[in-house]
Amino acid sequence: MDKIIGEPKKAFMTGNETVAWACLAAGADIMFGYPITPQNEVMHYWTRLAPKYNRGFLQTEDELSAGFTTCGAVQVGKKAFTATAGPGNVLMQEPFGMAEAMRLPLLTVIQQRGGPSSGTVVYSQQEVTLTTYGGNGEGHRIVYSTATHQEIYDYVIKGFNIAWKYRFPTFILGDGYQAKMREPLEMYDPQDKGIEMVKPYSLIGVPGQIGVDREPQHLCNIYSLEEELYDVVMEVAAEYETITPELVEFDSKYCEDAEVIIVSHGVVSRAADDAVKILRNQGIKAGYFRPITLRPFPQQQLRECIAKSDAKQLLVAESAYGQLERLIKQEIYGETIKINNLFMPGVGIIDFDIINKVKSII
Amino acid sequence: MSLIRIALAGEGGQGVQSVAEILTEAAYNENQQTIYIPNFGLEQRGGVSIAFIQFSDKRIGAPKFNKADAVIALSGRAIGRTAGYSDENTLFVYDSGFEFDKEDLPKKAKKIIAIPAVDTANKVLHPKVFNIIIMGAVIGLTKVVSFDAAKEALEHKLGHKFESNPDLRELNYRALEIGKEMAEKSLQEEVDNNG
Repeated sequence: MDKIIGEPKKAFMTGNETVAWACLAAGADIMFGYPITPQNEVMHYWTRLAPKYNRGFLQTEDELSAGFTTCGAVQVGKKAFTATAGPGNVLMQEPFGMAEAMRLPLLTVIQQRGGPSSGTVVYSQQEVTLTTYGGNGEGHRIVYSTATHQEIYDYVIKGFNIAWKYRFPTFILGDGYQAKMREPLEMYDPQDKGIEMVKPYSLIGVPGQIGVDREPQHLCNIYSLEEELYDVVMEVAAEYETITPELVEFDSKYCEDAEVIIVSHGVVSRAADDAVKILRNQGIKAGYFRPITLRPFPQQQLRECIAKSDAKQLLVAESAYGQLERLIKQEIYGETIKINNLFMPGVGIIDFDIINKVKSII
Repeated sequence: MSLIRIALAGEGGQGVQSVAEILTEAAYNENQQTIYIPNFGLEQRGGVSIAFIQFSDKRIGAPKFNKADAVIALSGRAIGRTAGYSDENTLFVYDSGFEFDKEDLPKKAKKIIAIPAVDTANKVLHPKVFNIIIMGAVIGLTKVVSFDAAKEALEHKLGHKFESNPDLRELNYRALEIGKEMAEKSLQEEVDNNG
């Protein structure tokens, strides 16, 4: 694969610019997109970079179309991606459902904005439910929630590989803050970090005679019989559950002796990390748990964290009204630990907010 | 250097976001940790534009903050919009060149000072370097980056314009210097909290 970055180098840029560079370094062939704040600059930077590296771009008439064209491109073996936010994410649920049904290796970057409806163009964590379980399916998706520009870069590269290896639609769940803010990161070509990129492959027009040389390719999103659909969904569910242990990612700190464990994801986990350190300095035993994959969810790891600590309480902090909390509750069903919350839908959370909340519950 | 948080606010088009961009780039070039996030809304232009900037020698957590170490408000409306970011540890700076309601000034601040940046830009230099005076003032007030790093970042950002018109370089450097001196002088002439 061509080297894009050359020697690994430091950069200082916005999250949207980071997405464009990471897609380039990952060898993406084409982006399909439709403008929506706060992800616009992913498109802007990509269209600036793409012609120089012989990559493609198509602005479609809406997000439905951007999603479906991405579904089409990956079927002919093009490493394709799209990016959207808010109402655009809502519209893309139909193509995402198709990608689940047909097992298409889609890579989508979501930069969450406030909701419901047009909400704000700024920031939120209110697209968790939509991104993990949206659509009329079973949520057979892989969702990475990033917290820094370095992670955006790393997980975009990883996301392409995961999508093409497992053939489940894969999401990089960012937000408006990560999209618009500038911070330092290191950019690199995957091969320089020992990362081998999975080569995209065509899903249709595959050589060989069906029944003689190969099995038929079933890229099907509609069935005549309910039993046929049942078999397929059950098979996909079983496969998803089998690969779950390979996919789950999380971060945890100070859980061993924690009285209260703060659970957060994405950019809020930066504030949680600071909050835990400050609380510890004040003699309050706080722990930190952050799911990096929201689908599949590191439920086993969170249960272990609870088990090995003395924690009597969880504090779920999120810039939404309980979307992460619902995920946690379904995933750790049966645990008796008390679950508290700090819900701040559509606004940022800082260490101060979390510290105050912790002090009010212990 | 421990964490320094600055809210820089002005009217859309005053160049607040450019200043934030150049300052953070200067800090990045000096190997500091830095984060800058613009506030952005639905407006295509106009309205109060705020840049939230953080500098530190350690990894920086949340991209936004509730209270700033320094607030710099560059219009009457910007004062009201940013007063809430000020508390008893905040240096609150506004431009003396415009009318505003004294009631809008923050109730809590370590110091409230006025600087004549608009006036100086218009009368001594050129209106278009107003934001560079402000950039100099931020450096004078907070010492977040060295003067040389600021000049270098300025060169990086505006170098192509300086090439075609070398006088611009001189003008911008002077603006930076005047802004810095203005801030340092104002810091000594503390204005009473009641204005």
